[in-house]
Amino acid sequence: MSTYDTAEGDEHPLLSRLIKVGLFLLAQSIAVMLVAFVALLVSFGTGWSATTEQASLLQPGDAKSGSLLLKEDGAYAEAIRLGTDIDITVSGPTLRARITQVFRNPTRDWVEATYVYPLATNGAVDTLKMVVGDRVIVGDIKERQQARVIYEQARGAGQKAALTEQERPNIFTNSVANIGPGETVLVQIEYQEPVHQSGNEYSLRLPLVVAPRYNPAPIVQSVDFRKDGSGWGATTSDPVPDRDRISPPVLDPARNAPVNPTSITVRLKAGFALGEVRSHHHNVKTESPDNATRIITLADGVVPADRDFELTWKPAAEKAPSVGLFREHVGDADYLLAFVTPPSAEQATQKPLPREVVFVIDNSGSMGGTSIVQAKASLLYALGRLQPNDRFNVIRFDDTMDVLFPASVPADAAHLGEANAFVSALQARGGTEMVPAMRAALTDKISDTNMVRQIVFLTDGAIGNEQQLFETVTAMRGRSRVFMVGIGSAPNTYLMTRAAELGRGAFTHIGSVEQVEERMRGLFAKLENPAVTGLTAKFSDARADVTPAIIPDVYRDEPLVLAARLDKLAGSLEIRGRVGDRPWSVTLPLQNAAEGKGLSKLWARRKIGDAEVARTLREMTPDESDKAILALALDHQIVTRLTSLVAVDKTPSRPEGEPLKLSDLPINLPAGWDFEKVFGERPHLTPTQLRERHADARNQPATRRPTPAAPDAIRLPKTATSAELKMIAGFVLIVLALILFVFNRRQPLLTDAA
Amino acid sequence: MPRLISPLVLALLGLILFGNGAYIHAKAWLAQVLLERAFERSIATGQAVKPWSWADTWPVARIEVKRIGASAIVLEGASGQALAFGPGHVDQTANAGERGIAVYAAHRDTHFRFLRNVAMGDIIDVTRSDGHHFRYRADSSSVVRFDASGIDATAQGFELVLATCWPFDAVTSGPERYILHATLIGADG
Repeated sequence: MSTYDTAEGDEHPLLSRLIKVGLFLLAQSIAVMLVAFVALLVSFGTGWSATTEQASLLQPGDAKSGSLLLKEDGAYAEAIRLGTDIDITVSGPTLRARITQVFRNPTRDWVEATYVYPLATNGAVDTLKMVVGDRVIVGDIKERQQARVIYEQARGAGQKAALTEQERPNIFTNSVANIGPGETVLVQIEYQEPVHQSGNEYSLRLPLVVAPRYNPAPIVQSVDFRKDGSGWGATTSDPVPDRDRISPPVLDPARNAPVNPTSITVRLKAGFALGEVRSHHHNVKTESPDNATRIITLADGVVPADRDFELTWKPAAEKAPSVGLFREHVGDADYLLAFVTPPSAEQATQKPLPREVVFVIDNSGSMGGTSIVQAKASLLYALGRLQPNDRFNVIRFDDTMDVLFPASVPADAAHLGEANAFVSALQARGGTEMVPAMRAALTDKISDTNMVRQIVFLTDGAIGNEQQLFETVTAMRGRSRVFMVGIGSAPNTYLMTRAAELGRGAFTHIGSVEQVEERMRGLFAKLENPAVTGLTAKFSDARADVTPAIIPDVYRDEPLVLAARLDKLAGSLEIRGRVGDRPWSVTLPLQNAAEGKGLSKLWARRKIGDAEVARTLREMTPDESDKAILALALDHQIVTRLTSLVAVDKTPSRPEGEPLKLSDLPINLPAGWDFEKVFGERPHLTPTQLRERHADARNQPATRRPTPAAPDAIRLPKTATSAELKMIAGFVLIVLALILFVFNRRQPLLTDAA
Repeated sequence: MPRLISPLVLALLGLILFGNGAYIHAKAWLAQVLLERAFERSIATGQAVKPWSWADTWPVARIEVKRIGASAIVLEGASGQALAFGPGHVDQTANAGERGIAVYAAHRDTHFRFLRNVAMGDIIDVTRSDGHHFRYRADSSSVVRFDASGIDATAQGFELVLATCWPFDAVTSGPERYILHATLIGADG
């Protein structure tokens, strides 16, 4: 018995061990299959789309409903939504715009929102209001640094705060701190602007989006040596030191519904019987309560903020009034705004001087889409308008540049044919290195004083180093005159007006192909007819501070616009000048001036502009101009480069310890722009990489024929999974577990046997 | 009993890892089945058909190498998500049969595992979702870095590039890519 028992006892443990191992292996392989398929099914269930990895994080391409995105750790979470309402009242020569931005926070976090938006170049921003629930907090004007400190203190203390800062005269930033979960905060700013007049057409232009700017990379540094010859110097700094502040995220229109819905209402009180009133780029509904008033609203209710709103109106009478005089009494001073359209010289009395015209066309990537079509059509039209005794040249630039002829050539059929072919072949690509092109255009090789030298510069102005361009124009303008043609749906008007002002020329906007002929004809009327020169303004009785201090030449159909601060409203204003070769003068009795609104702000805004120009012209030191600007801005409550508006709600709202997240609100790409031309290939190029690419391009030879350059090679995606690595690692672990298991089972058996 | 805890934990970890890896393969395999169906419907209807309702991509072509019996449905876009389900048509490159280079990329360990077996001279058949059919012949292969592929997006020929990670047997991902170049030899349908 005992022997038998023992024999059986010896066999049994071995068998059971083998069975157990086998069972374990079987169970394990079943478990593997189970786990794999459960994982598979669970994954299918939760969404097998772009968000497999982290379901809570969205990629920019996934937001379909116009939601705005908040940047967080490289991915995007749904964030602040923004709506904008714009209400403009035009009263005669000026307009007042009230812009209400609605920041809604649908997230569960406390958020700080930053929105970069454009305003009219000549606008004087003087009011900031923040509406939280039923409380309205009115902002104060403060020096920029001080305003920042106030805002940041409030942000830290959990109070709601709003800050309006100027980045460029036409780019502003609104920051709103501590928007609570589910809350809505309204931020309202107001500005005053003069109405633009050209011929008998009046217009207002309302930019709605900041076009992405090309910011030249600070790779190639130049060195400023000290004047004392000591050999010490400093490398000049980044051409766009504030590049981060003017580069909000831009949504790819192919992948996102447009964001930032905007509604617009214009109450037009022209002060005279109105003829045609037209919106150029938006469908509108117009009501006419009386013959001098119109109320214009968008036909579709809201539009995405992706192009400028342009409204023009004409008087019912054949000719617009040639003189306008308006006054306002503020504090102890009177402010005066005068519009005078000089008579146009009779063309028959004078043979126009032959001209040398240098055309410069921007064919950078930002001009892609409809802009380049408009630019080419405009330039071809211009070439067709040249007279046989004119001379001309064509320059094209992106981050490289080509000058068609070594020096300007006569406008004969052969040369024009070559130029037409050159222009027709242009394609939009690359960066925007505007300064070298402007320098080449201003280089006066012929120096024939019997010819009028004119530069026609076609661009969207989408650059961040405006100041460098202004300095180039100032330094090299000589006898050349610079005419700017702003192309596209959202051109940089500040660059256009200031460059034309410094270049003593004029500027025009072309927002669609349909406008090309009309606008270019207007521009050519200015180019071909003599300007009104040598203008002076004199007040008979009043002591006046007039702006512009030195009155620029006035081109055909343009009014001379003067703003002045007077100690008393008495006597008259006399304006003298020369139309062609004949003297001209006009006398305006000040008593006849009509009451206007916000003229003091306009005067101050012009004075600030003058100070900025004087600084560029080196007529004022930077310190002097800063001092003048600061004094004017604080006096008249205007946002400038040096002053900001800040509003703080004294009631703290964010509880201590709750974190605050920052949200840079994205903007639309301007209509008609080509995303890929600006930002490169969709999946790979971030703006940073784009800059690097441009930096490389700068090192290429500067002159190059417009043959298609070697394009970027295609980047291949990552094409390996971690499946094998995981399976191998998993297998190794299982085997390890098995060995341990067997080893552990063995030990008790050994001890039993012992 | 405590003796059993460590092997059990190890086994569980191993299981999860192994399952994870197996899941990638299972997903790649199952997706192709669904894609095959969607692709057939695309050809029938002439419209882009999403393989499943929440998909962010759709099938654009089928690649076949008949000699080695390989076939795969290509998806629009070559994002990481799309590549989990099938080869991707790299953005900014031509469509098959058009002038230029059509670039398709896929994982070396799933859909393009067969690339290692494709020999020079093999015929690669590409059927587009509109039913058009093109025949390419493999004529060269090379190993390049992902960011210096040398593929000229503006090439003037009718060309096809199939790209995947290199080397085929590596377990970790690296910067090198294997590209197989083919030229159009005929079209029908």
